[in-house]
Amino acid sequence: MKTIYKLLPAVFSLCLFMACNDDDNMEELSGEGTVKLTFDNSFGSDDLLLGTSSYTNSQNEVLTISRLNYIVSNFTLTNDMGETFTYPKDDSYFITSEETGETEISLTNVPAGRYVSVTFGIGVDQEKYLQGADGQGTFLAKAEETNMMWSWQAGYKFLNFEGTFTSPTVTEPTNFKIHMGSHGSSLDNYKEVTLNLGTEALVSDEMNPIIHMVADANAILDGTNKISLSEQAIIMVSEEKSPKVAANTASMFTVDHVHNGSGDTH
Amino acid sequence: MKKRLLLILCLATTVFVNANDDKPLPEPCIWTGTMFEDFCDTCGCGGNGGSMGFGTGLNNNFIGLRYIGQKYRSRDGIFDNSPWINENFNTVQVWGKFPIRNRFLVNALVPYHVHNRRFTDNTEQEIKGIGDATLLAFYQVIAPTPDSIISIKPKHILQLGGGVKLPTGSFNEENLEGSINPSFQLGTGSLDYILAANYGLTHRNWGISALVNYTIKTENSVSYLFGNQWNLAVNSFKTYYLSDTWSFTPQLGLGAEYFDKNKEFGLIVNDTGGDVYFGRLGLEANYNRFALGVSGMLPIAQDLNNGKVEVKNRVMLYLNINI
Repeated sequence: MKTIYKLLPAVFSLCLFMACNDDDNMEELSGEGTVKLTFDNSFGSDDLLLGTSSYTNSQNEVLTISRLNYIVSNFTLTNDMGETFTYPKDDSYFITSEETGETEISLTNVPAGRYVSVTFGIGVDQEKYLQGADGQGTFLAKAEETNMMWSWQAGYKFLNFEGTFTSPTVTEPTNFKIHMGSHGSSLDNYKEVTLNLGTEALVSDEMNPIIHMVADANAILDGTNKISLSEQAIIMVSEEKSPKVAANTASMFTVDHVHNGSGDTH
Repeated sequence: MKKRLLLILCLATTVFVNANDDKPLPEPCIWTGTMFEDFCDTCGCGGNGGSMGFGTGLNNNFIGLRYIGQKYRSRDGIFDNSPWINENFNTVQVWGKFPIRNRFLVNALVPYHVHNRRFTDNTEQEIKGIGDATLLAFYQVIAPTPDSIISIKPKHILQLGGGVKLPTGSFNEENLEGSINPSFQLGTGSLDYILAANYGLTHRNWGISALVNYTIKTENSVSYLFGNQWNLAVNSFKTYYLSDTWSFTPQLGLGAEYFDKNKEFGLIVNDTGGDVYFGRLGLEANYNRFALGVSGMLPIAQDLNNGKVEVKNRVMLYLNINI
């Protein structure tokens, strides 16, 4: 038994060493880095695949989706101290498109910190729109290229969601088009959302996090507001339905995970 | 009666070998093929890595070679319809157990890994190289006493110990690609500590062995920390003596592994950690001083990496020479 006692100090020192070994990585974050936001489009819990897959919603409509573009804007990041960093407004308008694969945006020169939430808009706010065509910079041309404008007078399409569908009452595949926007300055459908990151996104000279978000396209028609394609398959300038689409669209985003690191890999 | 005598001779011999460092006289031994089988370190094991560690015998000292093949599949993506990626982990280990004085034993193993996986675009990734070497020391709290040769009372054995897993295998951040198995690595890149206990009970040519070990992992140089890990296993076995030189020991057992969540920069990594339960079937053949073993493990239940990683099976093959 004596040998056991000889062993005890060794075991104790081992335990002690391990106990002291916790969190030694709380060093200061300094400088600035890039925050990437990936908008991974889904339909429910399935990955959204354009053209090739069909998806059934709770209204018994089967959708084949050919286009999902939307405008995201006015990014603000909040750190663990409650301080906010608002991305320069002129640079804060982005179009993500499943068709072109441009679903990741980069916010550069973000000050170092431990960020816990992100706030952004879906669409273009009135303030920006009222700056006139000249005030839009290169964003106007980009919106035209990606089918995200009706005309300057009618305004931006905040969401362009298209495809075909069938339902118990519409048995032939029928086109649907959901184009949601603010319709000039008469109907404001711009919405903002704030999402908790669920963890911390660490930013510094060396650290460029990737915030991996999921946008559930099913929420657009089958979210809080139930919108039936069988009833109306083309929804554009609709004072009744487009605000409902806007509310649904604002609720389609969640943060799946944050990848901290140098930003070279996902 | 002959069987019984042999068994006792076997036990007595091995104890004798333990007690005197310079002893050969190998005998088939009932303790072989039963311990440490499921000792599974990080890197390959159930989402958190593996090279099922120390193999045979409670009481015999050996050096040997062991092959471990593990098949996993993991989801390449975060969605329910994201594709599965097949991953194959192949490990060859040099391993051994050596007595140090009276009641001390040292276990050592050095693995060499060849892991590969094929992505949906048909590109293949292979990593190979030395894995993490492990060194464990045990104190025999209860060692079978070399008592009367005609004793037929049940024999107990209890070993307590601890050790280290050295960062001899490389850890590559880039293999953390996407949401796929974070354990596709040669090593954890960290110095890890292991606490272990083994218990064995034999009666005539029947036996039961149980082991528990806990691996405490530390953060590696790129601020990645694999979750701490519990391994538990129970095995039952019976030895059949065919002749003076030949014996066979079929084994049936259960294993469990628990993993804490991984951390990166001190923050929990999503879709890591979990548990898996195995059924195990094995057979060891002993011929003179050689032990040839084969065993397979199939998962009974599992929830690894939030369901994003699944163990399909593990196979093991080893050849040991008793020393």
